[in-house]
Amino acid sequence: MSNRTLTFSVFRYNPATPEIKPCMQSYQLKEAGGMTMFVALTKIREEQDPSLMFDFVCRASICGSCAMLINGKPRLACKTLTRDYGTKITLMPLPVFKLIGDLSVDTGTWFRRLSVKTRAWVHTKKEFDPTVLEERMDNATALEIYEPERCIECGCCIAGCATANIREDFLGAAGLNRVARFMVDPRDERSEQEYFEIVGSDEGVFGCYGLMACEDNCPTKLPLQYQLAFVRRKMAVAGLKR
Amino acid sequence: MLDTGISPQRSMGRNPRIDLYLDLAQLISGFLLVGFLWTHMVFVATIIIGADTFNSLAQFLDDYYLSYVGIPFIGLVALIHVIVVVRRIPNRYQDYWRHARTIMHFDTWTWIFQVVTALGIAILASIHVFAVIMGWPIDADTSAARMHAFWWFYLVLLILGEYHAGFGIYRQFVKWGWIKRKTIGFALKSITVIIVALGLAALWVFVQLGGALR
Amino acid sequence: MSNYQTHITDVLIIGAGLAGERAAIEASSHGLDSIILSLVPPRRSHSTAAQGGMQASLANCAMGKGDSTDIHFADTVKGSDWGCEQDVARLFCETVPIAVRQMAYWGVPWSRVVAGKKTLPNGQEIEDTKDKEGLITGRNFGGTAKWRTCYTADGTGHTMQYTIDSIVISLGITVHDRMEAISLIHDGEKCLGAVARCLRTGKLNVYIAKATVIATGGYGRLYDASTNAIICEGTGMALALDTGQVPLGNMEAVQFHPTGMVPVWILITEGARGDGGYLLDKNQHRFMPDYEPVKKDLASRDVVSRRMIEHFRKGFGVDSPYGPHMWLDIRHLGAKHIDTNLREIANICRNFAGIDPIKDLIPVRPTQHYSMGGVRINSEGFAYGLKGLFAVGEASCWDLHGFNRLGGNSLAETVVMGMIVGKKIAEYALGATLEYTSDVVEDAAKQQQERIDGLISGRHGREDVFQVRREMEETLMDYVGIFRTGPALQTAVDKLQVLHERAQHLGLRSSGVGANPEVTAALRLPGMIRLALCISYGALQRTESRGSHAREDFPKRDDANWLKRTLAYWPEGAVLPELKYEPVTITELPPGDRGYGESSASSKK
Ligand SMILES: Cc1cc2nc3c(=O)[nH]c(=O)nc-3n(C[C@H](O)[C@H](O)[C@H](O)COP(=O)(O)OP(=O)(O)OC[C@H]3O[C@@H](n4cnc5c(N)ncnc54)[C@H](O)[C@@H]3O)c2cc1C
Ligand code: SF4
Ligand code: SF4
Ligand code: FES
Repeated sequence: MSNRTLTFSVFRYNPATPEIKPCMQSYQLKEAGGMTMFVALTKIREEQDPSLMFDFVCRASICGSCAMLINGKPRLACKTLTRDYGTKITLMPLPVFKLIGDLSVDTGTWFRRLSVKTRAWVHTKKEFDPTVLEERMDNATALEIYEPERCIECGCCIAGCATANIREDFLGAAGLNRVARFMVDPRDERSEQEYFEIVGSDEGVFGCYGLMACEDNCPTKLPLQYQLAFVRRKMAVAGLKR
Repeated sequence: MLDTGISPQRSMGRNPRIDLYLDLAQLISGFLLVGFLWTHMVFVATIIIGADTFNSLAQFLDDYYLSYVGIPFIGLVALIHVIVVVRRIPNRYQDYWRHARTIMHFDTWTWIFQVVTALGIAILASIHVFAVIMGWPIDADTSAARMHAFWWFYLVLLILGEYHAGFGIYRQFVKWGWIKRKTIGFALKSITVIIVALGLAALWVFVQLGGALR
Repeated sequence: MSNYQTHITDVLIIGAGLAGERAAIEASSHGLDSIILSLVPPRRSHSTAAQGGMQASLANCAMGKGDSTDIHFADTVKGSDWGCEQDVARLFCETVPIAVRQMAYWGVPWSRVVAGKKTLPNGQEIEDTKDKEGLITGRNFGGTAKWRTCYTADGTGHTMQYTIDSIVISLGITVHDRMEAISLIHDGEKCLGAVARCLRTGKLNVYIAKATVIATGGYGRLYDASTNAIICEGTGMALALDTGQVPLGNMEAVQFHPTGMVPVWILITEGARGDGGYLLDKNQHRFMPDYEPVKKDLASRDVVSRRMIEHFRKGFGVDSPYGPHMWLDIRHLGAKHIDTNLREIANICRNFAGIDPIKDLIPVRPTQHYSMGGVRINSEGFAYGLKGLFAVGEASCWDLHGFNRLGGNSLAETVVMGMIVGKKIAEYALGATLEYTSDVVEDAAKQQQERIDGLISGRHGREDVFQVRREMEETLMDYVGIFRTGPALQTAVDKLQVLHERAQHLGLRSSGVGANPEVTAALRLPGMIRLALCISYGALQRTESRGSHAREDFPKRDDANWLKRTLAYWPEGAVLPELKYEPVTITELPPGDRGYGESSASSKK
């Protein structure tokens, strides 16, 4: 199909060998039909440089492992086709997150901390009773919860966000979206004031500049503008009430 | 690894709602300034109808002391706006610059322009206010003369002001989710075009007037 | 030499998928301290990829009316081709409804019943009644008599994993992600924990625990074409096998999914056919009804996969550079349905194949999908052969699935097992004491350090990891696929034995420092080849066809000789697994006809 030869310029740094300074390394690869960055990087590792570090798990844009900067933009590498790019492709690790090595960053720890900070689980005083039927819920409500729940914690919104790049403690769009998920869930009994304590500050929703890099970079196409605005309005009301 | 997420500054007596208040202050002061800017433009544009209308409007504002309340008030609002907004400018602005350069995201760049235009407006508007006050009271002839000589100055101020206001409002609409993104962008572009057109028309009249009076 | 970090806990859980995390919650709610290890952050586990749903006989939706645990039981046993443990299946079917409701209580936004009349794609009119409105609904899945697959739009596994993980976080359970268990520590009688390699730094860590749980998921990636995530390499099963004490059950039972998308092998969920999609051949003829007049495109997976291959062989496959394939047609479902209920499928088609399922046909082919076999445990979750070792989820052979798992039964299995086995683990750990000699631990760690050093120094040889690995994948694909024959299986065993020998002489091409991915691959490979040998050798010995194990030279099920389970052991230094057999527990439903598939078709003729 294609007979292009691609040149990948890849960021290299291994924290285990700090004496070797970070640098960009070039690899050449013959493009194949329908080649994704996953296929390309795997080929490079297997055929040219087995020390190259990067993360893929599902290779199907479901798990959120493989985000990186492709020509400067945060993208899921597994669902990025090489044919959409020129013959020169630059790959960098995501900013904000701690570097593990080369293209691999520690999004896992970041998002776990986020869950702890936002106390991202259903808060209820009810006990589970195995002998009774489930509580009823409107299907529309279930879908409304599912919408923000779709976030795959890839970190693209965080890497592209100016605030998150500057403020270490900023929850980012993924964090605010996660809070929105619990706000719309009738099973969560938290009051607005409790949510206000979590996101009613510059660390949360008032730190957001509204530049929407998050929404533009989200590979899951979450309606982040809608979710951020929803949280902002709710928190403004909650904050003014008392 | 498990921390509670409550940062010490926040638990130590700082008003927990302060960030909300500051955000609202930015929103409200911004809207007031835009409101002022647009009223101002409409007033100025009365010159298109004729020098008399313009003069009597200025007279009217003067007579009822509206100018003496309005100017300091707007000055104060502008000051508040500057103060609450300045905290948004990253203290490590190099970080922002580096970020904007690597990410290449359109909206992120507009924010940088927001900062630049704000600086420009602060300087130019102060000069303008100073000049107006020095030449008090306002009337069509002196305005026209100033216009004629410094038309480029007003052109720059006008464009900066419109740009800054347009995008500022756009940003607030986006942030509060009052309008869906993309549609609002279009709406504001049109608004900006209208205002700039109006402003240019006013400027043209001034220049004409100034030339005739010479 | 003890340059490793040691962690001591009550319960060590290897694997943070649904099964592992659910078991951890159980242990923690019994007041035990537990540590979960995972290759990746928990929410990136393979469980999140399951889109279709989980079976539970709630009988809420119109097409689920009259469903019961008995019917679910019968479906499961038939699906397994009578290879499952019926006491386990019974326990499972009785517990699933509770498990689903508990997941709802914890936060899964299950899709709910919406009352009203609906018309199915086949023209049938159904009505969801007002009294069931708002209860958890179900969708159609292959091999089931009723609609009972509970789901959340198109992301069931995702929402389940995120919810379970949120509970794990709320309970403050320790998770060490990017930490790969590379061997179990045991003294021949008791399991004492595991040696793990940190995938951030490459350093060794030792975990000592009263109870150790294997929850590492399946081994799909032993095959060249698999729907599984690339981390599904069966490492946990290999850990158990390598103790020499613990057997793996029914490794020859490998499920193929009829609809892996060509050529990336990403799964197109059964939901597509459940919602009314069907398969077409190269003449765009809908061929499944010719073979399976009743269940049509929704016969159980093994049957549909085999019918596709049969149809290929008759020359009806669509030719492509990646081999023959069929078409999956969902165009008639309409843009609205596809973009909401099947959004994920639509995205996959668009992003990974550049096709639009609203307008185009989807190229599909049977692809490796699920491992029925695994660490053999008893009905309470205790592994055979070592005290203090347990297994849950796809890594285990509890034996709910026998020779073919029903779609939707494995997500259900993960949480049900987490509940049931989790409780047994807790009871065991509460009664156990932490006794171990430091020699055993020291030796175990040293052995692993030597393996790593050996690889780095290259003193055992210069075999290329990726080369050997590729040959293994191709061998399984070519000779241990959907239809099997004696000679092909023998070829596979011979080739794999050679590869196993070569895998003893791996040498690195890179430096091997830090979290080096070549070291990671090299450490896994020998164990993976042993698993491949368990699969092929077990398949070679089993001279019958049952469920997904289809021998062309023995096309009939043979209950007289083979109503039994294979147990594969790997004694130290062996070159082939040692196979033993045990009877299958039959408590309620004696072996009979599945009512679909080849046997019933031939009995009709
Ligand atoms: C594409 C796809 C779709 C599916 N859809 C459905 C469906 O609709 N319904 C259904 O019922 N089933 C479905 N299944 C099957 C189901 O998803 C799995 O069987 C199930 O999720 C397995 O869960 P688990 O917890 O056992 O393992 P996994 O979720 O695979 O988790 C394994 C865990 O173990 C960890 N791990 C592995 N090895 C090690 C090691 N050496 N050291 C430390 N940690 C380790 C991993 O990091 C991971 O956290 C699907 C499977 C696939 C492939
Ligand atoms: S809109 Fe807010 S969260 Fe999104 S990128 Fe901008 S500052 Fe970050
Ligand atoms: S909100 Fe979108 S970009 Fe951000 S982490 Fe979630 S899926 Fe990724
Ligand atoms: S590898 Fe899972 S999202 Fe890319």
